[in-house]
Amino acid sequence: MTSATDKTEPAEIGCLEAIEALYAYLDGEVNDPQALARIEHHLGHCRSCFSRTEMERALTAQLRKSAKSRAPAALQARLRSIMDKF
Amino acid sequence: MNRQDDLRAFFSHSVEENMDALYGVALRLTRNSADAEDLVAESVGKAWFALDTLVDRTRFRSWIFRILRNCFISARRKKSVRPSEFHYDELFRDDGDGDLASLLVEQPEEFLTWWANPERTVFNDILGEQIMSAIDDLPQSFRTTVLLINVEGLTYDEAADVLGVPAGTVRSRMKRGRTLLQKALWQHAMDAGLNVTDNPDECRT
Ligand SMILES: [Zn+2]
Repeated sequence: MTSATDKTEPAEIGCLEAIEALYAYLDGEVNDPQALARIEHHLGHCRSCFSRTEMERALTAQLRKSAKSRAPAALQARLRSIMDKF
Repeated sequence: MNRQDDLRAFFSHSVEENMDALYGVALRLTRNSADAEDLVAESVGKAWFALDTLVDRTRFRSWIFRILRNCFISARRKKSVRPSEFHYDELFRDDGDGDLASLLVEQPEEFLTWWANPERTVFNDILGEQIMSAIDDLPQSFRTTVLLINVEGLTYDEAADVLGVPAGTVRSRMKRGRTLLQKALWQHAMDAGLNVTDNPDECRT
């Protein structure tokens, strides 16, 4: 029975393939459940890719903290006054 | 509520909800706050009069981002910024997928672990500055893509709309941009003589 392995263990992928998909994975852009399972399986078994993933997460969090912008009050007022005229 | 009132209420509610994102995206495109404010104001004005082109109300965000992009392109054309100052064509160019092997930048696992360590919080402010300077050094198309997605929270499809490139291009820009970013941070760490290995023998001299 060759199909028995289908649901138990996701197909093995290498580091190259894992990193190739890593950013899409972290950005929530991998929607195919099988592709998702393959990536997570690799991250669960590969110390190096796991570390890289954690680093990328920390980097994104720091990036968001450092660079997040808010619409200045003057712009908010300006937009409201534009919309009041519609 | 009549149809016009309904439209007006929907529009102003949607704009209110997206003000920060619109400003953030505009800031990423124009790279200065005065131009960003003008761009958002112009886009909101144009959007109101183009409201009948919005087929699906749940797609408001992508739709108004696309209007903002078009306003940005025509404003840049009018200003005829010198090419050396602003390579706006680069923003909208298809970069291809690049060589995959070159994406794999080898960094010691110790560096990755050190970086991701949550207890390393004392360094966060310095790292924040380092990240921003590393981001500023990225080629423009990569920088904008990374900021739109990781900071402003756009999906790949939304970023593709804003940049006018296929979603596949956004995906490859993310890979290359983030890889370059990591490489730059690693270089920063090396230049600063940071010992991230906890092994004195491996200190650079
Ligand atoms: Zn791996």
